[in-house]
Amino acid sequence: MNIKMIKILLKKELLDVFRDKKTVIMMLVIPVILYPAIFIGALQVSAAISSRMEEQIYKIAADTKNDDAFYSRLLLENNAADDSCHLEITDANDITDYKTALENGDIDAFITGTKKDGKMCYDIYYLSSEANSEHAKGIILEIFDEYSKELTEEKLEALGLDSHAILAPVSYEEQDTASSEQSLGSILGSILPFMLVISLLMGTMYPAIDTTAGERERGTLETMLTLPVTNRELIVSKFLTVASIGIISAFLNILSMSGIAFYMYQIVDMQIDLQKFDATKFLPAILVGILAVLAFSLLISAVTMCVTSFARSYKEANNYITPLMLVIMLTGYIGFIPNVELTPTMAMAPVANICLLIKNMLVFKIDYMTVAIVLLSNIAYAVFAILFLSRIYDSESILFGDAKSGFQLFEKRSNLKKGGVPTMSDVWLVIALTIVLIIYAGSMLQLKFGLAGVLGTQIILLSVPLFLVVYTKKDIVQTYGFEKTGVSGYIGGIFLAVGMFLLNIVLSNWAAELFPESAANVTDTFSELMDGNFIFVLFVIAAAPTVCEEMLFRGLIFHSMKARYRVSTAMVCTAVIFGIYHMSLVKLPATSLLGFILCYAVWMTDSIYPAMMMHFINNALSVILSMYGDKFANTVFYKDELMLSDILLLAGAGLICLTIGSVVLTKTRKSEPRNRTGL
Amino acid sequence: MKNSMTAQQLVKTFTKNEKKNKKTDINAVDGISLSVSAGEIVGILGANGAGKTTLLRMMSKLMNPTSGTVQIKINDEEITDTIEIKRHIGYLSNNTKLYGRFSTRELLQMLAAVYGLEKAQADQKIASICQILSMEEFIDNRIEKLSTGQTQRASISRCLIHDPQIYIFDEPTLGLDILSSAAIIEFMKRERDAGKIILYSTHYMEEAEFLCDRLVLLNHGKIISEGTPESLKEYTGEKSMRDVFSRLVIREGAANEH
Repeated sequence: MNIKMIKILLKKELLDVFRDKKTVIMMLVIPVILYPAIFIGALQVSAAISSRMEEQIYKIAADTKNDDAFYSRLLLENNAADDSCHLEITDANDITDYKTALENGDIDAFITGTKKDGKMCYDIYYLSSEANSEHAKGIILEIFDEYSKELTEEKLEALGLDSHAILAPVSYEEQDTASSEQSLGSILGSILPFMLVISLLMGTMYPAIDTTAGERERGTLETMLTLPVTNRELIVSKFLTVASIGIISAFLNILSMSGIAFYMYQIVDMQIDLQKFDATKFLPAILVGILAVLAFSLLISAVTMCVTSFARSYKEANNYITPLMLVIMLTGYIGFIPNVELTPTMAMAPVANICLLIKNMLVFKIDYMTVAIVLLSNIAYAVFAILFLSRIYDSESILFGDAKSGFQLFEKRSNLKKGGVPTMSDVWLVIALTIVLIIYAGSMLQLKFGLAGVLGTQIILLSVPLFLVVYTKKDIVQTYGFEKTGVSGYIGGIFLAVGMFLLNIVLSNWAAELFPESAANVTDTFSELMDGNFIFVLFVIAAAPTVCEEMLFRGLIFHSMKARYRVSTAMVCTAVIFGIYHMSLVKLPATSLLGFILCYAVWMTDSIYPAMMMHFINNALSVILSMYGDKFANTVFYKDELMLSDILLLAGAGLICLTIGSVVLTKTRKSEPRNRTGL
Repeated sequence: MKNSMTAQQLVKTFTKNEKKNKKTDINAVDGISLSVSAGEIVGILGANGAGKTTLLRMMSKLMNPTSGTVQIKINDEEITDTIEIKRHIGYLSNNTKLYGRFSTRELLQMLAAVYGLEKAQADQKIASICQILSMEEFIDNRIEKLSTGQTQRASISRCLIHDPQIYIFDEPTLGLDILSSAAIIEFMKRERDAGKIILYSTHYMEEAEFLCDRLVLLNHGKIISEGTPESLKEYTGEKSMRDVFSRLVIREGAANEH
């Protein structure tokens, strides 16, 4: 990839996009002119309405037959030099039908009173569908409140009591300890993330369509292909264009929105003491916010471009992008929901993580580990999307009209041929889908139903990929590796499983020393889950993953990758995806190692069954250790801190087991030569 | 002759969705071998759908053949890198549109940078291209505002900026008035005389007869006949290229039926 070439192409793309009026309008006019205009306009209009309501004279008819005390009271109020309400009191006796009078607007409210049990009962008739009538009712209620309070006081005084002490036995005052920065932050924190998501989407949508579908529609894409430019240079320059426009428009939006929010805050309620207000306190929030916007714009640009690249025209691209926008906007709404915590899992949830991060930063809840996870996961998703994008741009069917995505999932089922393993495009899509489902649905299920929720997650893990395999008519035996294998395969597997388990103790211990807090967190959640019937725990934690996780990772993913990449690449990729799926940085090395060894067993035996057995052994051992840990107290298996000798013992024994296992497997493999398909 | 372009047994297969639920593989180009040397104009003739565009796209490395090879030699040295090959080719078709929001000058400046020309060198080159194609009056106007003939001249100028050894033109004179197409034909002749390789396709038989050193007739992705215009006339006994073409295509069709 040539940096100079990318610069030239970037300059060209930017010039092209900036000469497009639609983009410039979306980017500049909306945030800089339209938003402030709308907000200030709305503010002016509501101010005008409320002042007119105050100036309005409200006509009230009062029935004075039974009671003239209140009537005179009303008159008194009215005559008092109070500008806030203007009442015109008429005698209700002049009105024959108050309903019609209310509806005709002759009067705004009608009061009638009767004496019951020595107490006055009043009925206030008004028309809630009329703003004036509603307002008049409000004024009357206020007068009543004041009136009844005064009467109470009078009566109490008449009894010779201290009315003040009785009516207000305690006194209290609110004291908000939030600094003015915090209260502004919390207001901004709920609005800003959502605005940011919307503005980034708006800002990137048009350039994303323009540089992909637009370029194809205008026929300039083939011109680009005649140039000595690689596809990757082309993609990166287009991506940088979209991302930089997204960033500019996001910043313009944020500036404009913050300005408006500040202005409104000052008008609506004068709590901000400008002298005390210290804008520098927002510095970390602003810096992290800027990084977040940068990382997020990379993600949004890459994702929107992936979608629009399949379209042949502007119109088609618009159709494709609308559902994506809805999903992203709905997810962005999470900032408005109170008490959603930015847990480490949430920190990896696209869109939601950025919203929660900015929200947290604005109320000064700062945790730099989480910040790092959020930023890195966004960048990782973006890189993933770009790699995917260059795959799209490598395919001739996409470049020369006749768009075919390589996704068999989107094709008519009857067009698909039977047999084989899924295409990589399908597999990546399923991985992405499953991971997103696990992050959102899985963590919710787990929170709500505990162990049963974990089982639900496993079912998702099984059913989404299975749907793909069945829909695309793939060979189930080949895709999942449901092949028979000899006894020695299982014997080797047992050795590998034990070795792997021993090494994992060392690795987990190590990670726990590096990240003590996160490790404690993991242990806590784990032991919470372990709290139950042993058989059920064993079923959910050991048996279910044996089937569900193995079928997805060592089955579908590994076999599909093995059919297209080198075996070593397939093993490493599968292992890393398996590690990432566990959603824990602390467990990542251990789970990736586990994934790798399981792949190795599948590759050596040509069957998924030994790997399933190994997975079961590993998880069952973990369950036993955490449930009956006390019985192993002070053995190397259950110690808070491992000594160097312990580590050497565990690692040594682990490595010996692994070696024996792999020797057994290698011998099996040599003695039983099989027809190896797809290698 | 130091430069040459040779295609061997090129095949391009497309999968088409015919009717509902039925897929068929179609060979748009079906085993074409073809060689063009420096200082030669070779014309590709064929009806719509004969495979001309697909053939030219593969020759210019825009598309990868399903099987077969394209060999490009510059100064007797074979070039294998696709990006390097593209530096030696000027490709033009109805699908290579120009950026409407740019002026021709801006477009040429951008392309010059892509091909790695220095600024001064580029300006000089643009001035000379502007003169050759007489683009003075519109070179600074936005391309979307240009007439069809002007746009086509701008397109040609795009192919000239890097001074390629090979020109591959797909129907360059389609839909142009006499004056504009005459300018393009003049240009091709001049480049041939300068020792360039020119491969081009057209529907206009008279133009092909008058311009090409060699003609290749395509039908259904196969070469049905090739030779100089004179030899083709002799072979079929027809007087005009139009009749030569009709006769050969009809004969091919009849042969296929038997």
